[in-house]
Amino acid sequence: MRKGSRWLWAAALVAYGFLYLPLVIVVAYSFNDSRLNAEWVGFTLDWYRKLFADEDMLAAAGNSLLIALAASLVSTVLGTMAGVAMYRYRVRLLPVLVLTPIAIPEILMGVSLLIFFVLLNFTLGLLSVALAHIAFCIGFVAIVVRARLAGMDESLTEAARDCGASPARAFRHVTLPLIMPGVIAGALMAFTLSIDDFVITFFTAGAGTVTLPLQIYSMIKIAVTPEVNAVSTLLMLLTLVLIVIATKVSPSLFRTASETAP
Amino acid sequence: MKKLLQRAAACALLLATSAFGADQLHLYNWNNYIAPETVKRFEAQCKCEVVQTYYSDNEELLAKLAAGAKGYDVLVPTSNAVQALIKGGQLLPLDKTKLPNTRNVDPAYLNTPFDPGNQYSVPYAMSTTIIGYNDVKMKELGLPTDTWAVIFDPQYLAKVKGRVTVLDSAAELFAAAFKYLGYSANDTDPKHWDEATALIKKARPYWAAFNASSYIKELTVGNIWLVHGYSNDIFQANQDAQAAGRKFHILQGLPKEGAVLAVDNMVIHKSAPRPDLALQFINFMLDGRNSAELTNLIGSGNPNLEARKVIKPELLAYPAIFPPKEYQAKLEQLHDLTPAQRRLRNKLWTEIKAGR
Repeated sequence: MRKGSRWLWAAALVAYGFLYLPLVIVVAYSFNDSRLNAEWVGFTLDWYRKLFADEDMLAAAGNSLLIALAASLVSTVLGTMAGVAMYRYRVRLLPVLVLTPIAIPEILMGVSLLIFFVLLNFTLGLLSVALAHIAFCIGFVAIVVRARLAGMDESLTEAARDCGASPARAFRHVTLPLIMPGVIAGALMAFTLSIDDFVITFFTAGAGTVTLPLQIYSMIKIAVTPEVNAVSTLLMLLTLVLIVIATKVSPSLFRTASETAP
Repeated sequence: MKKLLQRAAACALLLATSAFGADQLHLYNWNNYIAPETVKRFEAQCKCEVVQTYYSDNEELLAKLAAGAKGYDVLVPTSNAVQALIKGGQLLPLDKTKLPNTRNVDPAYLNTPFDPGNQYSVPYAMSTTIIGYNDVKMKELGLPTDTWAVIFDPQYLAKVKGRVTVLDSAAELFAAAFKYLGYSANDTDPKHWDEATALIKKARPYWAAFNASSYIKELTVGNIWLVHGYSNDIFQANQDAQAAGRKFHILQGLPKEGAVLAVDNMVIHKSAPRPDLALQFINFMLDGRNSAELTNLIGSGNPNLEARKVIKPELLAYPAIFPPKEYQAKLEQLHDLTPAQRRLRNKLWTEIKAGR
């Protein structure tokens, strides 16, 4: 091993440690036999038992998943369309329109959406939260897809068109597979953003609509128990599974554009 | 993936139908602020479902309702927030003929300036902002626990330097300082504000932190020995300490100078979908047994005289649950400030926090 590479390894180890140690601690403490969770007392599965008996928490987790799935699906479709449009048609106003929801403060977006829903006499509930999440996720998906398109060789689509493919067909069979890693990355991003959003969700959620972040936040007042660690652990597991599925569906997901181009 | 989607769709359908199917009461409440068995009993009685949503701050509730959120039947705001909601025209007047159990409430907590004649609200539960302490340590150090002096006077503080926390709330800390100085918790004289600021600044170096969330844990672990905190939290800290088998207790000290009282009240929102169920729920919660179950769960103060018969006897010894008659006069609820007063307090608070 060369001297330089040893330093590189050390730096990588420190960086990964910094990223993953807090997560490991969260998981470890979900098995801690102490309501306070201040120090390690002993191993227990009680918090998981408690979690699966806690209807409030499960309902909140279910709502969060449902909203995140819906929001990531819809915003991925719309965001991909927006990303392609931003790349292909150089209309000055387009990026501004698509990206503004990313730039404006969440609190502003939350309050204005609430006022908007009230104005329309739209009943607040799961649907209003999902709509709000779709609105702020589109921009993120669009950015990722557009970046992917920028790294793509335009002549491939042109070749498909030269061979007689219709624009739709060329998109379906050439462009889309090439930008698929970007699309999936965008979808995962939208999923994550949706599942942990607090501010916008708080304002757009109706009576009886509780999501996981809302539930956990309202518990802070009465001291957070390891049950929260347990639910976080399960969420992490789910995210991990999603990433594994994503890499299986599209093996080239985490490679760069130049590697995947034939 | 397909299966997952099908399931999601099924769930959505289920949720949608359940939202319109059964009778529902929407309760917008603090988290863990009603005993699960109480909810079950009410659901059995009204043949309806109680759907709870939570907030963790009065300002959150006010902001959300001010923007026009709808669909909530019963809310549980603190008195000054009740006043703000009444002013904003957000509440429905209560039909007293449907609330015979109001007679169970201690008259001392009825007909307050926040809602004269209880037209819109009835008290639900309460807490006081008092002194919490580690009994073993305080005894060892020979410190008093019945006066704000122990929080503000350097003569005492020198012995517990770095083991004291105060609430990270300008309203609460100024109120405690005012009480120590012999003024009203709601004093608005600028000269008294300066006096309180000077007092706090002198005590600040001895405090470990301004802490409003993790002090329960710190007390229980034994890192912090003395706090300015909420009675429910101090109760919780002692429960936790005993459950963890610590060799000390976390006790409540009522400062002889007086303290802040926070009463949470049940009110009905003007756009309540089911005002009939809301009234039925409020009357149900004013029943002694139902009210007592909350106190037994979280050690909240209880304005319901009938509840005394059902509250666990060991809890009655906590002075913050049923403050003694003579002490009730020394408890004050906080009023809202005018914008100008709020600006002044924020300025002083920033100075205090910045340590200038």
